[in-house]
Amino acid sequence: MKTLTKTVTKIALVLIPAITLSMTATAHDPKLHVKKVEKADCSKMDNSKMDMKDPVALAMMKKCMKQAETSSAKMDHSKMGDKMMDGKMDHSKMMDGKMDHSKMGGKMDSKTDDSKKDEHDNH
Amino acid sequence: MKILKLMLLLVVLGIAAVATVMYSGIVNVAADEPHSDLVYWLLEETRETSIKKAAEDIKVPDLADPELLLSGGVDYNFMCVSCHLQPGQKESDMSVGLYPAPPNLTLAAESHEGHEHGDDAQSARKNFWVIKHGIKASGMPAWGKTHDDKRIWAMVAFLQRLPELTADQYQILTALDPNDNQEMAH
Repeated sequence: MKTLTKTVTKIALVLIPAITLSMTATAHDPKLHVKKVEKADCSKMDNSKMDMKDPVALAMMKKCMKQAETSSAKMDHSKMGDKMMDGKMDHSKMMDGKMDHSKMGGKMDSKTDDSKKDEHDNH
Repeated sequence: MKILKLMLLLVVLGIAAVATVMYSGIVNVAADEPHSDLVYWLLEETRETSIKKAAEDIKVPDLADPELLLSGGVDYNFMCVSCHLQPGQKESDMSVGLYPAPPNLTLAAESHEGHEHGDDAQSARKNFWVIKHGIKASGMPAWGKTHDDKRIWAMVAFLQRLPELTADQYQILTALDPNDNQEMAH
């Protein structure tokens, strides 16, 4: 019985400070310590107020242009052909209605309904 | 001979006094307990004079290249912002907890109280030296051990413009595109 009491006391001595310390460690929002990698929010750049000779303005322009180029390169439709043809594109997951066609506008308009049909016929 | 003995006695007493202070534990090293005004002044003057002297021969390159702001901005955001803050931020865990408190670099040099910063060139020299070599027992690391001079000058260029930046400008200049494979090994 004495041994049990001693063991419980020891466990309590370890656990109580440990729990207390861990609770104080989360006293403020842990998100404050998270380093987010985020894109430049170029929509907030007001070109009308910018002095185009100022290095800050030029740097911002460079950053946003590079970001736009990267984004458009990722949407390179010329490279999509092969993938669509070799069956790597999983169309079964496209039918859940999450695809926002309203934003696809001009880029998809260049293809006729027939061409779409042809590509899908190859599956 | 008497003078020699007296001097020897003074040296022994001095060593004994230093040893007593060191090993008695009476010096409080807690960062939440500030130095006395006198000790603070002594340390600050020593630090500022040392940096000024060490940096006086550094040649400042042209810091107007926009590319420097982009490189320096990304590095600042990863390495410095937690202590030295960003536009719109008043404090952080580090800025509050460190002692001596790290300077808020979003404020213009003229608005800092205490030591003088000199003109742009002097300020750039000083910033370069501090970033490269760090400051002992202050929490400021020596980034020169892991970053070349070019990257450090880019940070200096960014620091020159930081006090004028809005929060939106800061976000754009310092953002790192997740798809962009720039160096992130900090």
